[in-house]
Amino acid sequence: MKLILSTSNIMTAGGPSVIRQPTTFKSNVELINSLRANFQAAQQSTLPPNTPTSNDTSASWTRTEEDTLYIPAVDFSQRGLAEERSQYDITVKLFYLPGIPVSRRCAHTRQAIDLVLKELHVTSIDLLIVSFPGILFDAEDDSEEEEGSSVDDGSEEQSDDFDSLVQTWQTLENLQAQGKISQLGVAEFGAERLARFIAHTKVKPSVDQINLKDCCVVPKNLIMYAKQEKIDLLTHNDCNDILPVGTTRELLGPGERGAGILASSPGAEDGVQGDIEMQWVVKYTAVVKDRGVVENKGYFALADVGSCVKPPIY
Amino acid sequence: MSAIASSRVPANVGQQLLANWHRAKGKERDALLWGDEVEYLVVAMDDAAKKARLSLAQADILKSLARDEALWQEGTCTYSENKEHDGEEPPHFHPEFGRFMLEATPGRPWGIDFKDLLKVESNMRWRREVAKAHMAPNESPITLTTFPRLGTKDDYSQPYYPPSGPALRSQFVPDEIANPHIRFPTLAANIRSRRGRKVELNVPVFKDKNTPEPFKDPTVDYDLQIWPEDDDVRNGAVKDGHVYMDAMAFGMGSCCLQITFQAKNVPEGRKLYDQLSPLGPILLALTAATPVYKGFLVDTDVRWNQIGNAVDDRTKEELGELPLKNDRWRIPKSRYASNSTYISQDPRLRKEYLDPGLIVDEDIKKRLMEDGMDEQLATHFAHLFIRDPIVVFSEDLEELDLNKADHFENLQSTNWQHMRFKPPPPEKHDIGWRVEFRSMEIQMTDFENAAFAIFIVLVTRAILSFDLNFYIPIQRTTENMETAHARNAVLDQKFYFRKNPFSPPVRRHQPSSSGSNASSAAHSAYNTPPPSPPLAPVESEYELMTISDIINGSSDGSFPGLIPLVESYLNSVNVDVETRCSLARYLDLIRKRANGTLWTGAKWIREFVAKHPAYKQDSAVSEEICYDLVRAVEEMSVKEGANGSVGWEMLRGRKA
Repeated sequence: MKLILSTSNIMTAGGPSVIRQPTTFKSNVELINSLRANFQAAQQSTLPPNTPTSNDTSASWTRTEEDTLYIPAVDFSQRGLAEERSQYDITVKLFYLPGIPVSRRCAHTRQAIDLVLKELHVTSIDLLIVSFPGILFDAEDDSEEEEGSSVDDGSEEQSDDFDSLVQTWQTLENLQAQGKISQLGVAEFGAERLARFIAHTKVKPSVDQINLKDCCVVPKNLIMYAKQEKIDLLTHNDCNDILPVGTTRELLGPGERGAGILASSPGAEDGVQGDIEMQWVVKYTAVVKDRGVVENKGYFALADVGSCVKPPIY
Repeated sequence: MSAIASSRVPANVGQQLLANWHRAKGKERDALLWGDEVEYLVVAMDDAAKKARLSLAQADILKSLARDEALWQEGTCTYSENKEHDGEEPPHFHPEFGRFMLEATPGRPWGIDFKDLLKVESNMRWRREVAKAHMAPNESPITLTTFPRLGTKDDYSQPYYPPSGPALRSQFVPDEIANPHIRFPTLAANIRSRRGRKVELNVPVFKDKNTPEPFKDPTVDYDLQIWPEDDDVRNGAVKDGHVYMDAMAFGMGSCCLQITFQAKNVPEGRKLYDQLSPLGPILLALTAATPVYKGFLVDTDVRWNQIGNAVDDRTKEELGELPLKNDRWRIPKSRYASNSTYISQDPRLRKEYLDPGLIVDEDIKKRLMEDGMDEQLATHFAHLFIRDPIVVFSEDLEELDLNKADHFENLQSTNWQHMRFKPPPPEKHDIGWRVEFRSMEIQMTDFENAAFAIFIVLVTRAILSFDLNFYIPIQRTTENMETAHARNAVLDQKFYFRKNPFSPPVRRHQPSSSGSNASSAAHSAYNTPPPSPPLAPVESEYELMTISDIINGSSDGSFPGLIPLVESYLNSVNVDVETRCSLARYLDLIRKRANGTLWTGAKWIREFVAKHPAYKQDSAVSEEICYDLVRAVEEMSVKEGANGSVGWEMLRGRKA
């Protein structure tokens, strides 16, 4: 079974997306808070007043289509954007998650993009930025040791090797050729990785997203190289492992702050049973170009759940 | 050309406004364009005598600037020696009330392209350089709000003119202190004559160890017998414990930082007008930079009320000092004051937020509504129209041109509220509805001025993106404006502010208007959302907050803070690393001003005076201190507090 989690438009959702303590650290607070707020809003909007929340009501605010459970139900018939398409810059960032086979990425990318297009009622996006697991930008040391340089808890096997980056990129190039995406971008690439990578691409990345923490200490060689190759260096404050399994289980589980959909553990009987494996997360933003107003921003996340799901590697 | 005061004009004004309203109310999809206005004092330094004086060379400087701009248009003159400003249009310079003032605006308005934001600071610096290049070698433009020794007994201007002329009738400043264009002395004279006496500014003196007690302004001449108004001081115009001033120049000679935004359409303009209004006093306190008047440290930190009093044309009847006989209304505020209306047709605007005592010209309101203007906007304009136009040129009265807005502009531009809603000028089709944010004090460096200008721009984007709601009863904003005057208000005072700036979530799954009936059983349940809960009392919606809480967020997380809101906005748009890094510097300045890590300009000036070897702890800011202060401000505008240079406490917070 697949689960599709969604936030709806977080700009007008009453502020759960605003990170209140100013911080330059990468964070998934926005995603987690927005998912939780959206689940709660959906639960409340379907309940008659004064009804205590119970697991039995989940059917009324979620929707099952074939083998996919939408949490909450998404009403794709609602109008997407207020003005005509040409007024917007639509940026999509796709997070490939750790431990998911590279071979699935082609399908995942299509799924994610299609959901965003359907949600916003558009036929193309302006920029797709992809985030590869385990690729971390390090401003102090831009020496770009490959394979095994990952600083994160020794999770070497989660870090993409170079060939899989190139392989993934080819599927993106194909999607771009089909006209669904205008420009492609990467995240957290240093100058050397970028140079090595570009040599293997037909469509050059037009954007390299660097995390906010490092935006004032971007190494000169990267700035020079980006300028030379006409690659925009943009900022973000997302973390790579944006939706860990534990967090998802807490969000969807039977606990006090959970949505009451998943069982408390793979074998428990208090909800949907089985292992859960996050496949991807996608973030989309639609900005009115000449006014700088963010009209729509949200996330979708897809998880596989069930007893036949391959347990995560770790 | 002759200028007269008239009360016959509002009918014309209303007709022009209506013609313009019908012409422009449907304007749509205008881009965000915005502009900043930086105002300067021109000082002339006399190193031999160790004196700083105001230069009255405005006309010559403007003439020379205009000549070069014309040459630039022909392509025979370049402004910048390096290539830094290639592709930018040269800045525009404008006259201001004070003959010692200049105003400069960017050559072209800014957009919201984030790379544009990077140009603001360098463009401001360029304006200063260009201005300086058109002045005498000993003159320079500085961005102090007020000249510390305007109106003292010494020769504080160059050239020197003795005080007490027919237009201002001030015993402290000469008529020559004002721009000689007929508009300005007429404005001053009409305010005085309408009022029936001179304007009256009493600012409480800052009581230091050796300040005389009781303090009686020692510069006041009680024996002057030139003009009838010289009786004012003998009739109790001077208050004990206060610094007394008697002319429009003491207020309108102040420099401000004003930001104007073009809105997408009328509803967006009206929304921004309302939502920015509660921020006016907060930004006033945060930019406080005015602790000295007429050679004395005063007990207030900002310029605002001094300007209000300097142009207060209300009669004794309007002020409530005499029973109403000839005048139509008691009017609670000066024509320069915090604004008193909300104008958005926003369902979140509760009637409790409006001022129940608002004075409006009911005839005009009726006329505007009969001709199709909605009540709210008609009320706003009918409130502005309670004022007499104080300058009207007689030829304008002969023929009313509905394709112009001169009568309306005349009235609008002498209604100096802290927000201004500006209709598109009829003769310029590429300009949309605009909103002006007017409360901020000018800062001594362009880094600070750029920071505050850009901060406000980003706040407007966050307001529109998150659909923020800052509504509080408008009288609370009026109170906040008073609160902002207190010495060190930025850290010591609390301000009324709305507790929750977010609107309730947009109701989910409303039936689509196209009438798609293919909804499932589960779907239909969404069509009957629970009724919205009754609104809580207005008083429970807001509370007193510190400026740090408002800007940085409250420590318990209940109020998110304007900076975190702006950062959340920035995290949602594509910003390049270089711009984001600059923006981080600007936001850091504002964050630290709000939490006290960095000093306001007012605090820095106070400390500069207090530590000066010539200061005698008697509140007096002598010529020598003034000279050194102006020198320091000049130096600061270049070094900006780097490496422990002057002003670091205000700009960097550390010496290294």
